[in-house]
Amino acid sequence: MSAWGVIKAVFFTVLTVGFFFIIWVYNPFAHKEVYELPEEVAGIVSDPKSAIEGRDLFKQACSSCHSVRYDGMYLLSLEARPDWEKILKTMGKPIIEKKEGKINIKGYYLPRDVYEAVALQDLENLKASFGKVPPDLSTIYLARGPGYLYHFILDPQKVLPGTSMPKLFFPEYDKEAKVKVAKIVAYLRSVSEPPPSEKAKRVVMGVATVGYFLVMGLILWLYRRRILERMGLH
Amino acid sequence: MLGRILDWVDERTGLKTIYRDQMVEYKVPKNLTFPYVFGVLALITFALQIISGIILIMYYKPVIAHAFDSTNYTIMKEIDFGWLFRHIHAAGANFFLAIVYLHMFTGIYYNAYKKPRELVWIVGWFIYFTLLVTALTGYLLPWGQLSYWGTVVTTEIPASLADAPILKDFFGAIGETISIWMKGGYKLEDLALGRFFGLHVIFLPLVLLGLVGIHLFLVRAAGISNPEGYEIDKKKEPEKVVPFHPYVTLKEGAIAMWYLALFFFFVFFYMSHFLPADNFEPADPLKTPPHIAPEWYLLGFYEVFRSIPSKFWGFVAFNLILLLLLLLPFLDFSPLKSARRRPLFFVMFVVFVISSMALTILGSMAPTPTNAKLGMFFTALVFLFFLSLPVISFIEWGWYKARGGQA
Repeated sequence: MSAWGVIKAVFFTVLTVGFFFIIWVYNPFAHKEVYELPEEVAGIVSDPKSAIEGRDLFKQACSSCHSVRYDGMYLLSLEARPDWEKILKTMGKPIIEKKEGKINIKGYYLPRDVYEAVALQDLENLKASFGKVPPDLSTIYLARGPGYLYHFILDPQKVLPGTSMPKLFFPEYDKEAKVKVAKIVAYLRSVSEPPPSEKAKRVVMGVATVGYFLVMGLILWLYRRRILERMGLH
Repeated sequence: MLGRILDWVDERTGLKTIYRDQMVEYKVPKNLTFPYVFGVLALITFALQIISGIILIMYYKPVIAHAFDSTNYTIMKEIDFGWLFRHIHAAGANFFLAIVYLHMFTGIYYNAYKKPRELVWIVGWFIYFTLLVTALTGYLLPWGQLSYWGTVVTTEIPASLADAPILKDFFGAIGETISIWMKGGYKLEDLALGRFFGLHVIFLPLVLLGLVGIHLFLVRAAGISNPEGYEIDKKKEPEKVVPFHPYVTLKEGAIAMWYLALFFFFVFFYMSHFLPADNFEPADPLKTPPHIAPEWYLLGFYEVFRSIPSKFWGFVAFNLILLLLLLLPFLDFSPLKSARRRPLFFVMFVVFVISSMALTILGSMAPTPTNAKLGMFFTALVFLFFLSLPVISFIEWGWYKARGGQA
């Protein structure tokens, strides 16, 4: 290739790679609000054990208004209903958890239309108090990320002025407040993200797949070189 | 045994002759550069999209009460490897369009749209257009906030015809009719979702398959273009051509493997762009998100639309760019081919590439007055590229004649 050819090739390659880096990986021009998770609670959020404690905390503090359908968690007022268990078992799908080779039913998943129909009155009551139905939080972790959730739960008005979400945790009176909030975030994380064992499997799978294609490409390339030499096309 | 089965099939179909004619005896220029691989990569991505799409369609439910949960619960959590197929499909859509854009720019650079390949380009343009519609219809299916509001904005765009300087009522009626026809009503509901689903999973893939078939046939019929920009006489210059198999198949096969390695790197380890966070919130018609922008592959057109002060002219401008792309073979009537031999064209090509990229990046930024001015500037440059083509062609005809008809 001539020098001019090299210059052109480098120019177009840099242009293309740079462009896709900006739009796919990191766009310094687009404005995005970032909420950092404080370092002292980052460990709690990523700990699966605190997610289990977080589930209980969520049940106490949040589930009078919010459901987490993907985890079989519904409004507290519903669980007091005598027919609730029956509704779950007849209309819902079991949420299955595999633990040490055993199958464990964690709860029941109700389809959205069924849930909104049977819980209509409870949801309307909440709407009457808050102006809108508090959202189901099954995927909120994926939508907002840990930093936002942590700061929002700790002080809703500061992050989203005018929201009808009340402040429930007071670090000024309760030393444990920040840890509790972090545990709730850990719980929401455990609902959205695959468990650590599954995550590790996916990483292994990914490395194997990428490695396979890299090696196959190399083998094909070397094979081609040999064949072309034999054909005199080299 | 296998050989005998092959012989049996061969006797009845002439398969071996077809293979010899189309793979080994089929000669291609030896000097094909790297960008020529994008066509094959697009084909591979298309296959990936179809395979992953077939898996996803088994669990997806095109009803608004279930669409979001069937994607995010059933596919992502319940079904083994459902997440993998969703990741492949979402990343695949982005990669598909990226590769198609690269393929198009390669075609423009080497002037692969010129005689005798005009039809290849025109069919390719229809593939591109169908692909945009496929991406748009598929985008609604997860029924998240981005899906919903992205589609609301897209279906509102034809309504900007009402901003016309003359015949306001007439244009307004056309715009509204198109808009309602796209949505199936005034509001995006089950009707729209069902339509988009049907188009996305049956109609558009079939159209794409047909068009891709025609595109490939036409490429074979017209012969592959050459980076040097002249037609190789395969009989007179046998040293300049090589057999398609194994010379090109193995080269592109190796590159395809590395491409898949890159693709699966994104699928396994970097999905945050292809599955944007905002779309993990279920669609809420009462809650408009603060920033709504189309996906990156439409951002260039969106920026053209947005930066022009009049909605009507914005609408006309971005449709005109699409139309000019289609008419490219006729705008550029120069006897010379390939940017390698056309310095003026090369300069304008670089201007075109940089302005397209700049428009896309501007589209991802906040709509400030400065950005709107920049957007208009780059829009003007894009039009300048198209308008310069006839002028360049005219000049180059002069050079061509001065050299006594020698390219």
